[in-house]
Amino acid sequence: MFPSFRLSMTWLHTWFGLVMGFVLMVAFFFGALSVFDREIDRWAVPETRFEPQPMPSYDKLLAPIFAGMKPREEELRLAEQRVGGPLPAQKPVMNWGAYTTHRDPVLLMFAEFGITNNPNDPDDHVHGWFQIDPRSGKIIPDDRLNIGRDFFYPMHYSLHLEWMELGYWIVGFAALVMLAALVSGIVMHRRIFRELFTFRPNKQAGRSTLDLHNLTGVVALPFHFVFALSGLVIFAGIYFPIEETIFKPHAEAQGMADARARGLAFKPAGVPAGLASVDAMVEEARRRWAQRGMPGEVGMLTVNHIGDRNSYVSIYRAGSDRVTLVGQGVHFEGPTGRVIFEDPPPSAVQGVNDFLTGLHLQHFRHWLLRWFYVLGGLAGCACIATGFIFFVEKRKRQHAALGTGGARWVDAMAVTTVTGMLIATLAILVANRLLPVELAHRGEWEKGAFWGAWILACAHACWRTAPVRQAKLAPAWAEHCWAIAGLGIAAVLLNWITTGDHLVATISRGYWPVAGMDLFLLAAAALAVVAARKLRRHGSEAGAAAVEGTDGDPVVPQAARVAS
Amino acid sequence: MILFLAVATGFLGLAWLALAMDVHWLQVTGTQSRRPAIALRFLGAAALAASLVLCFIADHVSMAPLVWVMAIAGGALLVAFTMAWKPRLLRPLIPRIRARD
Amino acid sequence: MAIVSPSPRVIASRIAAGVLGGYLFAWGFVTLGNGSLLGAGMSFEDAHHLMYLLAFPVYLVVFCWAFAAASLARVWWVLAGGGAAMSIAAWFLSRALL
Repeated sequence: MFPSFRLSMTWLHTWFGLVMGFVLMVAFFFGALSVFDREIDRWAVPETRFEPQPMPSYDKLLAPIFAGMKPREEELRLAEQRVGGPLPAQKPVMNWGAYTTHRDPVLLMFAEFGITNNPNDPDDHVHGWFQIDPRSGKIIPDDRLNIGRDFFYPMHYSLHLEWMELGYWIVGFAALVMLAALVSGIVMHRRIFRELFTFRPNKQAGRSTLDLHNLTGVVALPFHFVFALSGLVIFAGIYFPIEETIFKPHAEAQGMADARARGLAFKPAGVPAGLASVDAMVEEARRRWAQRGMPGEVGMLTVNHIGDRNSYVSIYRAGSDRVTLVGQGVHFEGPTGRVIFEDPPPSAVQGVNDFLTGLHLQHFRHWLLRWFYVLGGLAGCACIATGFIFFVEKRKRQHAALGTGGARWVDAMAVTTVTGMLIATLAILVANRLLPVELAHRGEWEKGAFWGAWILACAHACWRTAPVRQAKLAPAWAEHCWAIAGLGIAAVLLNWITTGDHLVATISRGYWPVAGMDLFLLAAAALAVVAARKLRRHGSEAGAAAVEGTDGDPVVPQAARVAS
Repeated sequence: MILFLAVATGFLGLAWLALAMDVHWLQVTGTQSRRPAIALRFLGAAALAASLVLCFIADHVSMAPLVWVMAIAGGALLVAFTMAWKPRLLRPLIPRIRARD
Repeated sequence: MAIVSPSPRVIASRIAAGVLGGYLFAWGFVTLGNGSLLGAGMSFEDAHHLMYLLAFPVYLVVFCWAFAAASLARVWWVLAGGGAAMSIAAWFLSRALL
């Protein structure tokens, strides 16, 4: 199709980058926000603004709460559909667990209840879960949407498109395209080392945009590449489901052999038995970890085959001091408290896998590295956004001359995806503070504010990019920037008004989740104002510059002939 | 503290590597004088190596390389923006060795 | 050098070859590789994790190759044909391992 390797890579980079760039923008941006998802939750759910706590006592605090757990309504309804009729009155609890991190003040508790009358799946089960304040055992009410963990984070990996896991596939394909865009970008960019630090903001819009695109792409190249790759590896089971298809019998056989080797019962015995002191088991686990040279806190605790003679308790260490995830599980016999099995050190392959996934999922305690991750994520967003802008800049003069609207619509989509997405993000935060606390389905209203704001931003973008048809700068960009500035400041003010936790208070008492959030919002608003003013200046200059044409980059004219 | 030093030496290393290039030397010094390119590249590489060592001192062996790679990314951005808007700020970094004329 | 713009059908075929052919090739690679490693005595855990780690670099390479290669026919043969062949071989291997 192309006479040279470089030209084929240019075509690949341009067109796949353009089409999947919109998805990648969302994945990178909400990924960057997800680094601090738990902290965003503190801002959004003021009842949880207290310090993170270690796992509390099972025997004294958690056991009675677990005993009172029930399956969730929506899970029961889905189970009724699967079974094709009413569910049995008794839904025996099969296992339960608790999970906490060094960043979470709240504790997540969950349980599985057996559904015994499903003809297709004898192991069918439903779930119950809630969050508690570990200091008191009080249950945090459900309708407080965890905007970070339950909205921004799933947006990042699934676009909230759960039907047939379509969102996971789209994001996965976008990740593959990201890898291809990085490789093809390197092929295209001949002076990659010489121009490593090159950024000429005072040149023509096309040139300086391309400089910024190259800069943000190259300096964070390892980050972009490894995050796209590790993201794909995390969900590889979805993309290549070999365990559920061709290798299903092998996987099951291995699972059962593993359980036998570890002495962990696959099924309950059907004989009732009590549970020994779990607190004592926790102490023993911590002693063993310290003995292995990795002292630590409990990250996750699960009890399986509850109330049965075969019950066992698994206690996992929180991996906050290293990149690999929670692990080093110690497994105890339920009725006696005896240690059955201790997870061995990982194999070489498992080690690499744990490292890659742990690097992406970030359970570690390292605030500087987290902020670096945000920087990397935003650099990725800048790379994609400047890619769109360059695409439009390069073509808008040609399209204006030809009378076609291609560049205009790409610009409209770019505005929607870049600044429109920011508007939607700020809108949900503002709605979170404005909506009445007792409003039923408050979380749904908040999500509605997000999507509604984005749709409005899109409509505005479509309307206010019309000047691109005349090769002029679209006023939509600057107008969105003003909206971002306004919403950002509003969010901080509303936090102050509705919770009293203004910046002076939060900084002085060192409560960084909320202080950091407010500061970040203000910084974003300030940046938006700077951008809006620069755009206004550019807009008036661009009218004159429209006649001159873009600066010559030797690669550009050839690529232009191929790509347009 | 160690991490701060690691980030700072990373930035210095990148700035020196940038200065070793014609176009950035011109931006910072305003002259086309012979720049001590080899010395600058050596300083740059040494500073980057020092930064990596400091990262390993500060953190667990699995986290140190990640911190270093990201510090380099951030440092490179900072150098690029400084070169673009306020290159004279990097004047003090020029080593006072006599370039052979 | 004059560049003739390729027809939409050719472009669509390239994209299909890269995306779908590439996926089939990667699937064949993963399944055949997994079966081979299991046959060589690796645990299921290790085998499938290793194949998952390798799958995406392989998909990336063939995806780029699909656009760089001169002959579209060759791309289809190698990716779709090779992918199908590997998948079928993997199927037989998996049954033999039971």
